[in-house]
Amino acid sequence: MALNDRVLGIGALFFAAFLTWFGYDLEAPFTYEPVGPKAFPLMLALIIAICGVRLAYKGGNTVEPNPEGANFRIMTMIIYVATYAFLFQWVGFILSTALMTIFVGRLFNGAWIKCIVGGVAMGLLFFLLFDKALDVVLPTGILGDLL
Amino acid sequence: MSGLMEHLSIGFGVAFSGINLLVAALGSFIGTIVGVLPGLGPINGVAMLVPIAFAMQLPPETALILLAAVYVGAEYGGRITSILINVPGEAAAVMTTLDGYPLARQGLASVALSLSAWSSFIGSTIAIFGILLLAPLLAKWAIAFGPAEYFVLMVFAFCALTSLLGEQPVKGILAAMIGLAIATVGVDANSGVYRYTFDLPNLADGIDFVVVVIGLFAVSEMLQMLENLLSGISIDVPKSERKLFNLKEMAFTWWSTVRAGFLGFFIGILPGAGASVASAVAYANEKKLIESKDPDAKFGKGDMRGLAAPESANNSAATGSFIPMLALGVPGSGTTAVMMGALTLYNITPGPVLFDTQPQLVWGLIASLFIANVMLLLMNIPMVRVFASMLSIPSWLLVPGILSISFIGVYAINATTFDLMLVVGIGVIGYFLRKMNVPMAPLVLGVVLGDMMEQNLRRALSITNGEISILFESPISISLWVAAILVGVVPPLLRKFSRKNEIHVPAN
Repeated sequence: MALNDRVLGIGALFFAAFLTWFGYDLEAPFTYEPVGPKAFPLMLALIIAICGVRLAYKGGNTVEPNPEGANFRIMTMIIYVATYAFLFQWVGFILSTALMTIFVGRLFNGAWIKCIVGGVAMGLLFFLLFDKALDVVLPTGILGDLL
Repeated sequence: MSGLMEHLSIGFGVAFSGINLLVAALGSFIGTIVGVLPGLGPINGVAMLVPIAFAMQLPPETALILLAAVYVGAEYGGRITSILINVPGEAAAVMTTLDGYPLARQGLASVALSLSAWSSFIGSTIAIFGILLLAPLLAKWAIAFGPAEYFVLMVFAFCALTSLLGEQPVKGILAAMIGLAIATVGVDANSGVYRYTFDLPNLADGIDFVVVVIGLFAVSEMLQMLENLLSGISIDVPKSERKLFNLKEMAFTWWSTVRAGFLGFFIGILPGAGASVASAVAYANEKKLIESKDPDAKFGKGDMRGLAAPESANNSAATGSFIPMLALGVPGSGTTAVMMGALTLYNITPGPVLFDTQPQLVWGLIASLFIANVMLLLMNIPMVRVFASMLSIPSWLLVPGILSISFIGVYAINATTFDLMLVVGIGVIGYFLRKMNVPMAPLVLGVVLGDMMEQNLRRALSITNGEISILFESPISISLWVAAILVGVVPPLLRKFSRKNEIHVPAN
């Protein structure tokens, strides 16, 4: 499916519908003021819907498709980033970062050996820099006892 | 005048403390690198450092000095690749390629680099004095604002930002509304009602603006980088015999630099216009002015005035854009919106009272801007090769590094996996929005201003018990409405009529 203004407009209409659907029943148990908690979100939904109608009606501005292979790379990257997010706390910073660097590095055409060395070094160095030197606490994960 | 001296002494007192000097130097250095790397601009650099500064428990003024130094540093750094390889390091450096790159081809790379560092310095210095004089006046004026005036002021900021940014204002409006909608998530402060939280405890406090910003400016940026894989960038520049510009060249470009500095400053104050617009306007202005008088001008083929003007203007605009944030509490650009978000992490709400309640923060920041500029000038002339060598960091190492630092920052705020997952989701949505040319700056502004905008609207309407006429009552509100309509209507019309000699301004 080619991306264009019509797709964006329809997306905006869905978002407006979502905001309205989940915002309509917002009522404050006690009110001290004339404007309750739902007025502002509903106003936003209205403006988003107007933008959506206009974009969907006019259409056009088709986005140039990505070069060959790019969509696959992007999909892969999304999976890697999501996996990194998932493992970050659970496995710990050092291991998850090393793994992420190896795989993302491969995606950016790094050689295996360079990516492995780079990944391990990055995991360790950033941990020392942020956790030990700068006091930004990072998860130790399954290496918890060692660190 | 005595007030000014007093402010300066407070400011330099803060700026000259050890940690703040160190942070200014570090920020300038990091900022220049961020500016050099194509694909990373000031907003990315600032966004990545916000949570880290907060997690390191830097005091607010120190954190702000760090971020400001990165911002200004990035404006310096952007010029390096423009001149050396004809690739602007960030959006505001596009104009610098026009005459900078031809100069480098003629064997004047080092001269062009040092001269543009000098123009950047002059531009920023003009803007810093501008802040010193104008910001307190503006704050004094704005202190009389009631909630209605504030609401209209924010409407004006959105109008300016969306209409100046792109060809399609409707997408700008959409972006702003999405941002405001993101800000409604969480407990409603007035009624205690949970909005759009879906019973998830992680959403009860709302979506942290850091999560949004990192998603939009780190994750989706990376996805965009994967569209076209660049193999390493090689720098092949003819050798230059001279390292530094000479006095003759300085005199030759002096008035262009000064004119562009003032122009950039005033453009920078306007919400929305920012550094990219300023450098484009300054270049066009100098070109028109000089070509009409000087038949030997060779703009586009390596005229030093065409190099000095946009560099001076983009730095003065970047510095000038602190004014609306500091004096009004309404940031005028994506990058200052991120900085304001950083202040809200510290529970500091920028605005006119800031000059009274946090003088050390305001004046310390302004003095530090000056010090960072001196440092940047000193760094950028001898160390330009060091910065340029950053380009040889391969992307297989750079991208994981950026991702890792971004995640460290997000994790530092709430220490939850949920936030990291949210970053990924927002990054993916942001990627699609970018593909469809939805500008990101209004979205960020929406997230940062959302709460304030809604609160002020509700407070204003409480005064009149729901009558919306209060929004149109005071002369200030009325003139702000008029300004909002003008800024919304005039630039698109101008664009329509001046298609012929249009200058392309990249939306950042």
